[in-house]
Amino acid sequence: MARAEPPAASFERRVLRSAAEYHYLRVRLELPDGVTRPTVAQFKQLVVSALRELHGEVGAALPVDVLTYEEKTVSAILRVISSGLVRLWSALTLLGFYQNRRCAFRVLQTSPFLLALAGNSRDLVLD
Amino acid sequence: GTSKRIKVLTRLTLVVSDPSHCNILRSTSANIRLFDIIAVFPKTEKLFHIACTTLDVDLVCINVTEKLPFYFRRPPVNMAIDRGIYFELLYTPAIKDSTMRRYTVSNALSLMQICKGKNIVISSAAERPLELRGPYDVANLGLLFGLSESEAKAAVSTNCRATILHGETRKSACGIVYTVKKPRKVEEEETTLPAFKKAKTQA
Repeated sequence: MARAEPPAASFERRVLRSAAEYHYLRVRLELPDGVTRPTVAQFKQLVVSALRELHGEVGAALPVDVLTYEEKTVSAILRVISSGLVRLWSALTLLGFYQNRRCAFRVLQTSPFLLALAGNSRDLVLD
Repeated sequence: GTSKRIKVLTRLTLVVSDPSHCNILRSTSANIRLFDIIAVFPKTEKLFHIACTTLDVDLVCINVTEKLPFYFRRPPVNMAIDRGIYFELLYTPAIKDSTMRRYTVSNALSLMQICKGKNIVISSAAERPLELRGPYDVANLGLLFGLSESEAKAAVSTNCRATILHGETRKSACGIVYTVKKPRKVEEEETTLPAFKKAKTQA
């Protein structure tokens, strides 16, 4: 007796590539000891000057927003338009000096979704 | 946790500005075998050609601190890619100085045009811990140099591992001995004398 064939499932797959409008970056500025920590305005100015140094006036005009800033740890969440992510990230990487002292930007997390920055599996402690 | 210890490798970079400087690589001296990775930094076009085609090295360093005195040409670069030699770019000079930033990007772009993004390794020449950058940051710099996303990621991961393996193979192989079966002649099979009774000289 022939078994009835199960009805063929119909589904459709859609792949969205780079559909997010903004990219979010959690960054931290590592400073040597003895340097006064920047205020939020100075931090934004530092980001814009990093963009200007690497990508010129057009790079400095890239719309970057500082969503949160913690002065104690000098860490912030930045928002940038998706097409400008490579430029912003490379400008932050190649920034060498803050007030003539050596510094380093550490990009901790990056994601097209802000909620993804809430949890970081790298902060979990292995026992 | 159960994590492996960090493996520290040794590396030698030879700055060659004269063909006689390469002699140390040709002779299998004991000093060369102490290092895991051998890199060469050619200063002229002729030496770049020699490094890519004949020298036994793992990395060819590309100058990023000044304008290249020679243009890359396709034949030596392709030969280097076939031999498994990688080209190394540095990123720490770009952090320190804005003129070096321009030279880094322009030299990297001219290399990309010729080698199409293959066999690139990006590394830092950091002297202080604050000059180091994370691996994803460096892979992003690769995008700035004209690499595609997968090539940029490979420049910090798979290509580096391949360089280490290339160094290991260079240390291990010195020569090959192989045997070939010699075809036996038909007349020899007809004689019944064993070999030790055969006349050694021809009458």
